[in-house]
Amino acid sequence: MSNRYVYGIVDSDTVEFETDAVAGADRVYTISHRRLGAVVSDIDTTDPEETDEDAQIHDEVLREIMDYDGGTTIVPMQFGMAFEGDRELKNVLRGARPAFRRAMNDIEGRVELGLKLVREEDADIDREALEEEVAERLDPIAAQSVANDLFSDRLVLNRSYLVDEAERETFDEAVAAFEDDHDELMVQYTGPFAPYSFVDVKIGAKQ
Amino acid sequence: MFVLDDLLFRPFVGIVDALHSIALDELYDVEALEDELKENQLLYELGERPEEEYRRRKEELEAELETARDAHEQLSSGRVEVKR
Repeated sequence: MSNRYVYGIVDSDTVEFETDAVAGADRVYTISHRRLGAVVSDIDTTDPEETDEDAQIHDEVLREIMDYDGGTTIVPMQFGMAFEGDRELKNVLRGARPAFRRAMNDIEGRVELGLKLVREEDADIDREALEEEVAERLDPIAAQSVANDLFSDRLVLNRSYLVDEAERETFDEAVAAFEDDHDELMVQYTGPFAPYSFVDVKIGAKQ
Repeated sequence: MFVLDDLLFRPFVGIVDALHSIALDELYDVEALEDELKENQLLYELGERPEEEYRRRKEELEAELETARDAHEQLSSGRVEVKR
C-alpha cells in the first residue's frame, strides 16, 4: 500500500479521519506542500479500476471532507488519480499551485447541485422555451451554471449549478416552485456534491 | 513497379480500413450503450422503470458494452484481421 489515491486538494494539512476509503483502505489523511494539502488514502496501484462501489466511496469521502471541521473547501478530483508516492504527489502540488489556488477561490463556501428535467413519455416539450424559463428562475440565484450531456431523448435539460451555501435554501425553493408549475416534467434534483463541474484542474498520475 | 503498387494500393486499402472501422463503430457503438445505461438508471431513479426491468436491462446493456469494448480493443491492437 505504498501508492497514494487522491480525493482532492485542500487549503490545510489537517484533514484526517477514519472512514471506508477507496480500494478497501480505512483512513484518509493529508500530504502537504507549503500549506496546500492533497487528501489521500493508501492504495497498491497507480491505475485503480473504477467499480460502482469505489466510485460511490470516492463521492462519499469528498462529502465527508466538505463537512469536516465545520466545513472544508476541497478542490475535488475525478475518480482514478493515484500516485506512485509522496514525492510525485508533492511535485504536482508544487507545479499546479496557482491552478489549485484559483480553483479554491472559485468554489470556496459553495456547493454543486444537479438538475435533470425529464419529460413524461407522451409530453411534447419546447426545449428552448424551457431552457429560457429555467435560466430566468435559477441563474440569478446561482454563482455559475454549466450544461451537461443530454444522454437520452427523454432528458430535456441537464445542468449543474454552483451555489453559495447561504443561497442554498432560496435555490431549493426556486426548484420546488418550478416543479410545481410543470406537471409534464419529472424533476431530479441532486446534491450537494463537491463542485466537480466547476473545477478545471486535472492532474495526471504519469506526469 | 513496387512504387506504382504502393501508390495504387495504399489509398484503396486505407478506404477499406476506414469503412471497416466505421461499420465496427456502428455495430459496437460504445457511446450509445453508455447513454442507454444512464437512461436506464435515470428512469429507475425517477420511479418510472420498475426495479426488475431496470436490473434486467442493466445486465443486458453491461454485457453488450463489454462485448463492444472488447471488439474495439482487439481492432486497435490489430488482433482482428481486416479481410479484403
